[in-house]
Amino acid sequence: MRMAAGTEDRERGADLAEAAPIIRANGLSVYYGTKQVLSDVTLDFPSNKVTAIIGPSGCGKSTLLRCFNRMNDLIPNFNMTGQILFDGVDLYGPGVDSTEIRYQVGMVFQRPNPFPKSIFDNVAFGPKINGYEGKLDELVEQSLRRAALWEEVKDRLKSSALALSGGQQQRLCIARALAVHPRVILMDEPCSALDPFATLAIEELMRELSEDYSIIIVTHNMQQAARASDYTAFLMGNEERIGELIEFGETRQITTNPEDERTEAYITGRFG
Amino acid sequence: MVRADFDRNLKTLQDDLISLGSMVEKAVTKSLIGLKNRDLQLSRQVVEEDDYIDQQRYQLEEQCIDLIATQQPIAIDLRTLMAVLHIATELERMGDYAEGIAKISIMMGDEPPLKPLIDIPRMAEKATTMLQHSLDALVNRDEAAALEVRNADDEVDDLYEQIYRELLTYMIDDPSTIQRATYLLWVAHDLERIADRATNIAERVIFLVTGRLTGVNVSQY
Ligand SMILES: Nc1ncnc2c1ncn2[C@@H]1O[C@H](COP(=O)(O)OP(=O)(O)OP(=O)(O)O)[C@@H](O)[C@H]1O
Ligand SMILES: [Mg+2]
Repeated sequence: MRMAAGTEDRERGADLAEAAPIIRANGLSVYYGTKQVLSDVTLDFPSNKVTAIIGPSGCGKSTLLRCFNRMNDLIPNFNMTGQILFDGVDLYGPGVDSTEIRYQVGMVFQRPNPFPKSIFDNVAFGPKINGYEGKLDELVEQSLRRAALWEEVKDRLKSSALALSGGQQQRLCIARALAVHPRVILMDEPCSALDPFATLAIEELMRELSEDYSIIIVTHNMQQAARASDYTAFLMGNEERIGELIEFGETRQITTNPEDERTEAYITGRFG
Repeated sequence: MVRADFDRNLKTLQDDLISLGSMVEKAVTKSLIGLKNRDLQLSRQVVEEDDYIDQQRYQLEEQCIDLIATQQPIAIDLRTLMAVLHIATELERMGDYAEGIAKISIMMGDEPPLKPLIDIPRMAEKATTMLQHSLDALVNRDEAAALEVRNADDEVDDLYEQIYRELLTYMIDDPSTIQRATYLLWVAHDLERIADRATNIAERVIFLVTGRLTGVNVSQY
């Protein structure tokens, strides 16, 4: 494995070296039952940046992402070794509350999945459960604004979220994640069900949000990674089809001059 | 293997670029023969053929734009297309210098050159060799060969300096030679520029291979 953050590339990844990473995967291996799907992934996700995870289907991108908010805990035969540090704290350490983690590390999925409730209730859902004590109206408005959806829905907050377009629903899901004040937002192919216009809107939103949040996005679209992310991690299955980290670096470097020829073959569409 | 069409297009593009390169190389050589042998017919031919070189350059540029628009190239593909774009421009400009030399030859008309042409053809030979080697380096993706082209530029610069001093001496000693000395000075200058642009091509090859944009060729002239 080659890391662009190695000695000679320290300059390029200067940001990386300076800011403490928000999430650090340390020798992470993942198994579903006896089947290993990720091997020895070591990777730092910088704070307040958009990091893209790319790689062929089945290489373990979603699995990796789900490790970061302990969503995999819900899968019965899931097992992992190694460590994940969230802001320096062992995410799987004793006394860590996985529900609490899921508020701090929000997730947006491939298909927009609003609850069959009103727009308002979708956004207010998390805070209510959390026993939010401030003004819900304000929190909902603020979250919708941050998700660049407020202007489009402010007159119909009480109507059903399911009546929104796909792109609007996805932004609503982002607003829902933002309402509980997360530190990190994980997005698993958030645009694959959206048209190009809605896709660009989400990408722009990611850029804006990265000022206040750290964003990790799984995408199959190399152009999307190029447009929307600061850093890119490339994963790929080895001969035994176990996912490994092949290369990590600034997106600019990965898209113009990747170090590993497997990265190059993949991103230029000459894979396999 | 996916993207076979795209790969074919890239290959064609490179082939077209190389053939533009050999057209330019021929133009430079012919412009020198025209000058040396006082073959005005040949000089006129060089001027005419430059239009074709220009056309080829634009055609290459269009092919690049099409591929960029339709294939969204990144990494090595993007570097290849950017290199082709730049190199095509460099070649076209080199063609213009060859045309410039041919026009000087035409301007000289029946007049014999001021002095027997010895260093100027040597310069021309070095410059065209640099061009050949830069294109070979492109075809072979050979960084070391490209670096050598860069070094060869110093020799051309030295020759230019030498020719410059010599012609200056002529002009100072006998002002009636100024016109004819100036013609040769222009020719030497054009050749020096051709060598510079061969260096630029070599630098694009280095970029293509390594992704590193080396400093633009800083010439003394
Ligand atoms: N719950 C599970 N139980 C068993 N195996 C699983 C489970 N979830 C995923 N896998 C396997 O783990 C491997 C990695 O899957 P994962 O969904 O992480 O890949 P991915 O890179 O996200 O793929 P895609 O790009 O297709 O979404 C695959 O071989 C998959 O079949
Ligand atoms: Mg997935």
